Amino acid sequence: MTALSAGLLHPLVVPAHVLAIAALALLIGQQGWGRGVPVAYGVAVLIGLGAIALAYVPKFTEETLLAFAAIIGLLVALARPLPQGPGVLLAAAIGLSLALDSPPEALALMQANLTLLGTALGAVLLLLALLQGTARLRHHWQRIGARILGSWVAAIAILVLALRLVG
Amino acid sequence: MRAAVIRLFAVLLCLAAASSALAHTGSVSGGFASGLSHPLFGLDHAVAMLAVGLWGAFLGAPAIFILPVVFPLVMALGGVLGIFGVPLPGVEIGIAVSAAILGMMVALAARPPLWVAAAIVGAFAICHGHAHGAELPPGADAVAYSAGFVIATGALHLCGIAFGLLARWPAGLIAVRTAGGGIAIAGLMFLGRLL
Repeated sequence: MTALSAGLLHPLVVPAHVLAIAALALLIGQQGWGRGVPVAYGVAVLIGLGAIALAYVPKFTEETLLAFAAIIGLLVALARPLPQGPGVLLAAAIGLSLALDSPPEALALMQANLTLLGTALGAVLLLLALLQGTARLRHHWQRIGARILGSWVAAIAILVLALRLVG
Repeated sequence: MRAAVIRLFAVLLCLAAASSALAHTGSVSGGFASGLSHPLFGLDHAVAMLAVGLWGAFLGAPAIFILPVVFPLVMALGGVLGIFGVPLPGVEIGIAVSAAILGMMVALAARPPLWVAAAIVGAFAICHGHAHGAELPPGADAVAYSAGFVIATGALHLCGIAFGLLARWPAGLIAVRTAGGGIAIAGLMFLGRLL
């Protein structure tokens, strides 16, 4: 597997990343927010990966990502209308913590940079693809289904966070 | 543009499947399968979850969707108590009682106010969550395991709701109440084994 494809797949094969991106897609679709929210997410992903490229090694990134996933899951379950401002902040927080939780394993500089580029593409494409579905949840039963999925995301994130705190 | 994004996502999914076959089968898919099977093969958990869905459908809107939203969240709080080792006396008895009480509610066609139904279901969700939380394996596949058992729990609710929707018809109402009675008897049997 090339470095680029390994990076592309990274957001798809790490369950915490899939969970967080799916939660964000559900919230954006439910609230009907504009393009500013996904753009903030994309910019935050690039900033986070840029920080990793500059050899910044943060701690507790997966826990931070799960905490934001839990918050977003709860917001989806509550289904209260929210202004776009907090949405931009949440999307940026998810993008940044997801990127900081994606350090490449490659040792060679070129390979590492290609992996980071792939991760950026994978993370953004996954959100855009999921938004194609969640933006169309307009029927009453579909909105109920989204709320149930939001409660599942929150429950999973809360349980794993508790496990991480104990372990 | 949309079609192009969907095609790209399909390619990514195929690549992801190939990748998991190479490297991630042991941790992620194993954890997910283990979590998924946990509520399904624990009969005491499974019948109580079915009863939650049955009762929600029986009570109608908004209970039909509020109970499946509330249950996983309260169950997670119970799970946190279990993970932190906070003792909760009589958890197994609580799980058996949950099947008996929830089954009885359906069998007797009980229609309490929504907050009472949510409080009853929430109290039992703490017991179920505590039992699951105490058995959660630490390690890299914790997310997959938790996802598996939350999805299995939710799927059991949805099965109960689907069956409970039969209560709209007279013959279906008899079938749903009979199923509730069966769950109540099963719960009493679980309780009898524990006492």
